[in-house]
Amino acid sequence: MLLYQLKIALTSLRRNPVITSLLIGGIALGICVSTTFIALRHVFEKDPLPGKSNTLFYVRLDNWDPQRAYVAEDPKSLPTMVTYRDMRELMKSNIPTRQTGTFRSRFFVHPDPKIGRPFAEDVRLVFSDFFTMFNVPFQYGGGWDKAADAKPEPVIVIDQNTNQKLFGGANSVGRTVRLEDRNYKVVGVLAPWNPPLRFYDPTQGLGPKVEPIYMPFNFTPILEIQTYGNSDGWKGNDGNGFQAFLNSDTCWLEYWVELPTPEKQQAFREYVNNYVIDQKKHGRFGRPLHTEVTSMPELTKELGVVPPQIRSLAIVSVLFLIVCSLNLIGLLLGKFIARIPEISVRRALGASRLQVFWQHIVECEVVGIAGGLIGLGISVGLLKMVAKVIPNGDVVHLDAEMIAVSIFLSLVAGLLAGIYPAWRVCSIPPAMQLKVQ
Amino acid sequence: MPFGPIIRAMRHNRMRFAFIILEIAITLAIVTNAVNMILDERKKMLQPSGFDDDNLVSIAYQPFAPEFKEQSYVEALVQKDMRAIHSIPGVKAVATTYFLPWQGGGSSGVWKTDRFNGKFQAQLYAARGEIFQTLGVKVTQGRAFVETDTPVDSNVPTRVTIISRALAKKLWGNANPIGHVITNGEGATPRTVIGIIDDFYNPYAWNIGEFVLFTPGRAYDTTGAVFLVRTEPGAMKSVVAQLEPRLLSVNPGRVFRIVKISDLKDQYFSGGKLVIRAMTAIIIILVFITALGIMGISSLAVAERTKQIGTRRALGATRADILKHFLLENWLVTTAGLILGVIGAYGLNVLLVSKLSDVKMQWELVAGGMVLLWINGLMSTVPAAMRATLVPPSIATRSV
Repeated sequence: MLLYQLKIALTSLRRNPVITSLLIGGIALGICVSTTFIALRHVFEKDPLPGKSNTLFYVRLDNWDPQRAYVAEDPKSLPTMVTYRDMRELMKSNIPTRQTGTFRSRFFVHPDPKIGRPFAEDVRLVFSDFFTMFNVPFQYGGGWDKAADAKPEPVIVIDQNTNQKLFGGANSVGRTVRLEDRNYKVVGVLAPWNPPLRFYDPTQGLGPKVEPIYMPFNFTPILEIQTYGNSDGWKGNDGNGFQAFLNSDTCWLEYWVELPTPEKQQAFREYVNNYVIDQKKHGRFGRPLHTEVTSMPELTKELGVVPPQIRSLAIVSVLFLIVCSLNLIGLLLGKFIARIPEISVRRALGASRLQVFWQHIVECEVVGIAGGLIGLGISVGLLKMVAKVIPNGDVVHLDAEMIAVSIFLSLVAGLLAGIYPAWRVCSIPPAMQLKVQ
Repeated sequence: MPFGPIIRAMRHNRMRFAFIILEIAITLAIVTNAVNMILDERKKMLQPSGFDDDNLVSIAYQPFAPEFKEQSYVEALVQKDMRAIHSIPGVKAVATTYFLPWQGGGSSGVWKTDRFNGKFQAQLYAARGEIFQTLGVKVTQGRAFVETDTPVDSNVPTRVTIISRALAKKLWGNANPIGHVITNGEGATPRTVIGIIDDFYNPYAWNIGEFVLFTPGRAYDTTGAVFLVRTEPGAMKSVVAQLEPRLLSVNPGRVFRIVKISDLKDQYFSGGKLVIRAMTAIIIILVFITALGIMGISSLAVAERTKQIGTRRALGATRADILKHFLLENWLVTTAGLILGVIGAYGLNVLLVSKLSDVKMQWELVAGGMVLLWINGLMSTVPAAMRATLVPPSIATRSV
């Protein structure tokens, strides 16, 4: 039956190619715009770690100026990062199953002089849990162990590009890389890893990419490694030098914990609060008690990592699609009404109302699918254009989920445009038309 | 012209008009909100920095050679570097500073003053050399920095500052700001305001884009330095080509990173440009599509009613009456759509406005959108209505 209806639909569509192409063009226009901006939003808003992001929590403490909130106009605001001393103390807890403090720095890589001049590269300082917590993919080797954290041992993890540059892409586990004036042993090489957002660093927005080199955090106090990320301070350091900076109230670290169960989440929240209450006795944390242990999805929402404009474009583009399909109603009505004599004959010859209705719906869905496929094709091109305009745009692409959404939308658009005209023509009584004829 | 017959005639095709009304309503909602977003982005883009953006380029170096571990070596080298940059033909001025216009941030601090009640936040940048000539801003009150403002010992804090007019206004109103003192926290060195620059804007969180303190200090240490270079108009390309070779000939033990401020600015506004382009395209296509839709519906309405039109003409209606009928019918539909659309426009605005971008819908925009769509609706009805006037009265006597 469906095949027969498809055949009639195609015949009918071929009969008036101008109207048919207008119909298909209308749907294609709506689909290409909506698919482009829904896909753009999807790339940046989709869960970076499905199934896991709800167990990863980001810790914030309000250690800001007692006289003035972090954002002066918003007394509930608190710093987006934590201090070195607080991270150190909080990491003594064994409630989280995994945890890491982390920040970004920059080092000089000294390759074999045969390969080239030294170059500066972003380096992320992390604890060994980092790699497991954030599902970092490895091509060779893996992260380091707790012993390497504690000592710290001179080990590093490098990404694929760096491995290509330094070792020609070979398995470099066990070989050494010179950073500044020290040698580090490669323990792991990353597989290609290009998440659209550096989701473990919520302070950086859309801009920068994941770092090419990772080394043990505990080198920080030894080598006096400075941050290349944000650092927020509200009072000077007590004294000079790096140790004074580490002891200061300057916030410059991201601190993540993994808390798989509600019990652990509850326990850790209490632990953090108790720590701050205890610190208050020592004259720190002059503001009202305020700590946040926020899950990754909530954090992304709260800090607005995705620009609000991308969300707005997605909403507007869906409304645009609705206008496109509403617009086709008039066209379809005209087309179907012109066919009333033919339908009357079919009805008089025994076609049921339902059959007539379905036949017209099928015709509209053929238009919907055709327009949808064309629109999908155009949106691939549009997304390429968008990718050129925005920073870090090379991650923008259509995935299977978005293609499915796009096809679903074109079916809905076809239905939205066709349901009323189809209902109108199927409710025409057969006899009346025959009489006039 | 009585509305009664028109409305009664429309009742026969209720659903059809309902769809058009809905379409016009959504169109108005989208168009007004899209224009609103475009205006908001444009406002941000048109905000001038006050600097000679197009002729500014930054060159930063990071050293790997061992001699850079000595601060005294770096001091001497930076002076040599500045002279080397200055000697490049087409260079107008050069300074060392960590300030980089249009990078969407920078450094800031919280300060106290002798007058201002409480604390305030402002951007803070150390600079040495001809910083204001380089940026292209004038010190309009007080004096610029001189070489002796920078203490010889890099551990000694500086005692003077030059601030932006906007900050001076915020702190001391219209009083003379020169000679006032700004400190950060107890025991910290107070800094005396010695000069004012009129123009300064660098987008920053906390809405402190116009508030800045420049201090005469070192934007370099043993880990590297940043130079900001201003070129003569048109000399950017040749200067950029010569920067790295010049500085490499002074000392090759370092790597460089060159960024044109115009590129930074482009990057900073990339999201805004995307919004403007996409929204402009959506508005144009949408108005066009809505026009097509109205044309379709009105020619259908005319085609269906050919016989009735003929009858009316035979009963004495003039061509003008027929034209009026269809135009009024469209006007009623459009107006109904627009009334619904006003609600939609404000509703969509609430949905789109987030905490971050606080762009309220202005009534002028809604009014403008309504006028646009009224005209659009009438123009789209004219062809079909004109066709209707051509229906001869004799058609009333024929059967279909």
